[in-house]
Amino acid sequence: MKYAYYLSCINESLSKEAEYSLNIWTKDLGIELVPLEEGTCCGGSNLDFVNPDQFLAINGRNIALAEKLGLDMITSCNTCLLGLRHAKHILDTQPEKKEMINAVLKEEGLEYTGKSEVKHLLWVLVDDYGLDKLAAKVTNPLTDLKFAPFYGCHILRPSPLMGGYDNPNNPHTLEDLIRALGGNVVEYNSKNKCCGFHTLIVAEQESVKLSGDAVVDAIDAKADYIVTPCPLCHMSLDAYQKDGLSTKNRQGKMPIIHLPQIVGMALGYTEKQLGIDKHVVV
Amino acid sequence: MKPYDIIIVGAGGAGMYAAMEALQTNPGLNIAVVSKVYPTRSHTSAAQGGVNAALANRHKDDTVELHIFDTIKGSDYLADQDAATLLCEMAPYVVREMENLGAPFSRLEDGTIAQRPFGGAQKYRCCYCADRTGHTLLQTLFEQCMRKGVKFFSEYYLLSIEHDGKTAQGIVVMNMQTGKIEAMPAKTVIIATGGYAKMYWQKSSNAAGSTGDGIAAALRAGLALEDMEFVQFHPTGLRKSGLLISEGARGEGGYLVNNKGERFMSRYAPEKMELGPRDLVSRSIEIEINEGRGFDSDAGQYMHLDLRHLGGALIKERLPQIRQLAIDFEGVDPIDEPIPIRPTAHYSMGGIDADINGATAIPGIYAAGECSCISVHGANRLGGNSLLEVLVFGKQAGHHAAVTASSLNPGAISTASVEKIQKEIEGYSHHDRTERYSDLREDLGKTLGANAGIYRTRKKLEKGVADIMEIKERFKKVHVKDASAVFNTNLFQVFELKNMIHLAETVARGALAREESRGSHSREDFPTRDDKKWHKHSIFHMNEAGEVIVSDKPVTMGKHELQERTY
Amino acid sequence: MDEKKDIYFKIYRYNPEVDQKPFYDDFKISVERGVTILRAINYIKDHVDSSLSYRFYCQAGICGSCAMRVNGVSKLACTTQVWDELENCKEKDMITIEPLNNFEIIRDMIVDYKPVINKLEKYISWVTPKIKQADLGKKENIISEAEFKVIDAATDCILCAACFSECSMMSANKEYISPLALLKAFRMVKDSRDTRSDERMAVLNQDHGMWDCTHCYRCVEACVKNIPIMDAIQGVRNEAFIRKQNGTEGYKHANAFAQDIRKTGRLKEATIAIRTKGIFGAAGMLPFAIRMTLRGRMPSMFVKTIPGIKHVRNIFRKIK
Repeated sequence: MKYAYYLSCINESLSKEAEYSLNIWTKDLGIELVPLEEGTCCGGSNLDFVNPDQFLAINGRNIALAEKLGLDMITSCNTCLLGLRHAKHILDTQPEKKEMINAVLKEEGLEYTGKSEVKHLLWVLVDDYGLDKLAAKVTNPLTDLKFAPFYGCHILRPSPLMGGYDNPNNPHTLEDLIRALGGNVVEYNSKNKCCGFHTLIVAEQESVKLSGDAVVDAIDAKADYIVTPCPLCHMSLDAYQKDGLSTKNRQGKMPIIHLPQIVGMALGYTEKQLGIDKHVVV
Repeated sequence: MKPYDIIIVGAGGAGMYAAMEALQTNPGLNIAVVSKVYPTRSHTSAAQGGVNAALANRHKDDTVELHIFDTIKGSDYLADQDAATLLCEMAPYVVREMENLGAPFSRLEDGTIAQRPFGGAQKYRCCYCADRTGHTLLQTLFEQCMRKGVKFFSEYYLLSIEHDGKTAQGIVVMNMQTGKIEAMPAKTVIIATGGYAKMYWQKSSNAAGSTGDGIAAALRAGLALEDMEFVQFHPTGLRKSGLLISEGARGEGGYLVNNKGERFMSRYAPEKMELGPRDLVSRSIEIEINEGRGFDSDAGQYMHLDLRHLGGALIKERLPQIRQLAIDFEGVDPIDEPIPIRPTAHYSMGGIDADINGATAIPGIYAAGECSCISVHGANRLGGNSLLEVLVFGKQAGHHAAVTASSLNPGAISTASVEKIQKEIEGYSHHDRTERYSDLREDLGKTLGANAGIYRTRKKLEKGVADIMEIKERFKKVHVKDASAVFNTNLFQVFELKNMIHLAETVARGALAREESRGSHSREDFPTRDDKKWHKHSIFHMNEAGEVIVSDKPVTMGKHELQERTY
Repeated sequence: MDEKKDIYFKIYRYNPEVDQKPFYDDFKISVERGVTILRAINYIKDHVDSSLSYRFYCQAGICGSCAMRVNGVSKLACTTQVWDELENCKEKDMITIEPLNNFEIIRDMIVDYKPVINKLEKYISWVTPKIKQADLGKKENIISEAEFKVIDAATDCILCAACFSECSMMSANKEYISPLALLKAFRMVKDSRDTRSDERMAVLNQDHGMWDCTHCYRCVEACVKNIPIMDAIQGVRNEAFIRKQNGTEGYKHANAFAQDIRKTGRLKEATIAIRTKGIFGAAGMLPFAIRMTLRGRMPSMFVKTIPGIKHVRNIFRKIK
């Protein structure tokens, strides 16, 4: 199994542990990732309103890089997933837009055709790789641990862009994965709620209130970890956990782990190898 | 308490247009709009198809004169011709005004307001916003009322209209949130509370609240009602819910098909086919069903409205809401399957007797919109003329109330009338009351549908009147179980039931009296129009004893002579 | 006969006149296929408990009165099929009915709707025409089908407030503009007949306005009319860029993304707060910076430029 791997800005800078914990086990599963070094930032759910056409061109280019390799594309960040799939949807349904960007991409020897799929790491594990196969690889079943799944918005919504993987009001793929790794899932209210990341800078108070809600929910549900497929959610829930809890006048600690880390745990890697000690809340 | 210059009851199209126009006439006036629902909830929102105006954007040879003639002919010559003339003359003006104020009318290629064909019209005259014209006009009016700072009393229920026989005094309302009964004094009152076709209950396309509240309050306040027996049955209600599939579906080219696969309208309106006027199409469906050419189902016999030949793209673009209704309420996607339909009570032509300024017999009391009978629709309303009526006569009433208000100096609302209402309401919760409001409501709807529906006879109507009188008796024992003062919907539904019962009596008595067939009123025992005896309006009063008395008044004629009505 | 099924309705109850706090009532009724949630609760009200309180009006999905939460999700009771909801039940055949979120409760499912009206007023949610009052109604504006298409979806909004109830930001701060007011604002800003867009944009640019949306897309998911509300929110933000209203944090924050992509291809996380809020504004981010540094995770001030950046710059040059 070979994919073009889309490099997310946050995994390249603030959250490097997400990236190296992924690279640590992909070979164990026989998954080969070809990093798209020439890819750019997806626009972070911002470029689309700064300049909608530039947004299309940038992400059309990102996908065209994967197409040039003849590979489907994987990302391990929800917001990158949304940006790429959003652009792809427009390019695939509005020929005049596709034509517009291809006129420029041609100069670089690229062409956007729409043949490469854009997938989230979670979907690849569940769908392409298969949970039965994954379960068979588990060497350290997470039997004693309780996980609160936190999907993050941009892997669920808007649902028409998300390929039918989950019902955004009642998702289950992340739970399925946790169970395949031997872990236990806690029921709590926040699994499909918003972490507030995208307003961390412009409306910090509101933002940390949202992440605080989720953390408190998970604490009350007696989870050992929150696990999230999105490094941006991770940032809100982990690095701003203290701020979030203080909006609710609560204390406590809820370690947050990345999707690649929970897989790594079940495959027998240590917390240190997976960079879990790099988190703010440990 | 200082009286308001104008209190408008009802925040639908007519009420909000009246408010806007009144403030335009005199910005210094103190105006209140009172409504039992938030303004954008009003039933105007349900009008799908459009609003008629001879703009001549599509057919360059359309004229106001043709619109007037179509309206009068459509009314089966019962419309007052001065009113119909004013309606059509002002149509281009009000439609353009709504456009100027932001209504998102669909457009033709040249950027002008789009127009489509509609039942009973000779030309493409119906201006539309996709298939949500009422919704967008209502939103636009609400936006403009916000812009002008109109004061809304949302979720206040009208209990009575007060006057001293010489001038209006105001209204008595219940604040629905607190249960408090309040007298609201006013120099002028505009009733704009909508129609009464919900009395047919399950066989009605109307909102739950289209219970004729203002009309019933007017009847009890001694005002005259007019032409109450004329209730329009829309040909294409959904089989199960009675909800409406707009005439827009036929305007765009939909077929009506029976169980033999025939476009049966060829028998009844060979030229206009599916675009014959509503009363004719409804009756044609009823005949087809009676003669065994309907489809069978648990929810009764029905016909097919077939849109499939129009193609998915057109259906999605021009009839999106209709498609959604069919999917949500029948589980049928009209792109793939015909829509199951049957006639449904849809519009009430009758209402409060008012002149072309909206004025009633009591100075200061006005009526506009479906609750009024001006009368522009006569025995049958044309599609696209109801939204037009709310705009034109909302404007008329608003303007004239604004002009009149300063000259009126009403006396105070008597405490006795407030106390009387208070006492009646307290009575509802008495423990020896045993009748359930929902049973009465269903029984009322059933007898109306069976005995005062599309086809009427003396025998059926006598039965209908007797049933209604029995229901009226049973209502004296109706029980409100919910004892709370806070938003007591149980109580409001009982208020509405009382209004429907009172108006049902006028419908049935009017229909029994009128021994002819005209427009929406079809008597099997008197199958033809009888201009000699019945070319006149029915008038209804309630006497001191609470009985309904029927009389009549002449029709205002003009340049259009009586003619046979064929399509 | 139509197939029937016993279904439980677990319904939120609260009457501030008598109840200390909210509770749930359970009702079991037999429901056939094809019945909507509204018809089911009407049955309960009419036959079992007449004090059950909720709003409804048109029963046809056009007035917006009966929005409530069904199995936790805000939707219209009148267009939601009971049998379809069975697959969303937490407990088998038990449908939960609750009032909308983010509102004060008046009674049971009836919420205080006034904040919606207040927000519409605050954001100038109407057209103020260029045509003088005296000239209204004389002639129609010529509007192209293309312009009309831009606002077409937005004019579908029935103000049911399902989006208001589902909005993440709304739950964090009731001062927030709300999705429906943003949608109306977009519809007005893009209407060439209106003359007050400058003022409207000024209010939208204020605190709790258009820049506070957190992109969660819950509004889009909840919209009973399938309106792409997020496109409208992005649309008013885009309008700020078109008008170069570059004084807000929201503008600067988003602009930083465009600048960085053009410059290196990648986001320069280290300085984004400073570029958004200025040196002093960003001082509040200090605890975050310290926490990250303690874990050895402070991003580098130097961002490696991607190979082929000239092609990216070419895109920014050619596509405006």
